[in-house]
Amino acid sequence: MGCSTATSLVTGIKKIRRNPNPDFLFIEPSEMVVTQEMRNVTAMGRRDVAYDLGPFITLVDGPGFQAVWRERQPLLLGHIAGSDLVAVSRADLIAAEKMAEIVNTLTGYCNDVLRLSARSGSGLEEVVKIVRGA
Amino acid sequence: MKIVTIAGVQGSGKTTLIRELIALLGAQGSRAAVIVNEEGEEPYAQSFLEAQGVEIFQIRGG
Repeated sequence: MGCSTATSLVTGIKKIRRNPNPDFLFIEPSEMVVTQEMRNVTAMGRRDVAYDLGPFITLVDGPGFQAVWRERQPLLLGHIAGSDLVAVSRADLIAAEKMAEIVNTLTGYCNDVLRLSARSGSGLEEVVKIVRGA
Repeated sequence: MKIVTIAGVQGSGKTTLIRELIALLGAQGSRAAVIVNEEGEEPYAQSFLEAQGVEIFQIRGG
């Protein structure tokens, strides 16, 4: 993440914290930003104003996993490293064997892999729990 | 305020997940805001933002 982007993100976080000060501030970074960078940058504003950090969630697209793993493995591992939760999205669209392959591949890079489907709602309650409790 | 970050490659469903979480948390009485990079996967519909009382902020390049 570049310096000016980091600065504008921190400025934005502090501004939102002051007003409207929501219960939750969701950040959807560009795909090129990895989790450790986000951890560092989002922590900077705490020198000025008080807020809580985390969880840091990484989403892995279930149907597109193989292609991303083949071509963009360093990026995906950069998202995963330092994440509190790794979730496979669109889990309802892939077969059980494919899901097992994904879990096998990612084991070793993260503690656990959550199966998620926005369409069926599966896994969402678990994410809400983590978001509330982390 | 608690910061929740959702990482992932484009098309991994970040926007969809954030929308779902905002709706579920909103139903439990929590207020949310969103910071999205300018290449956000899909726009948040104005009707959704108004219904959920969500403020959205965009940053360039991030």
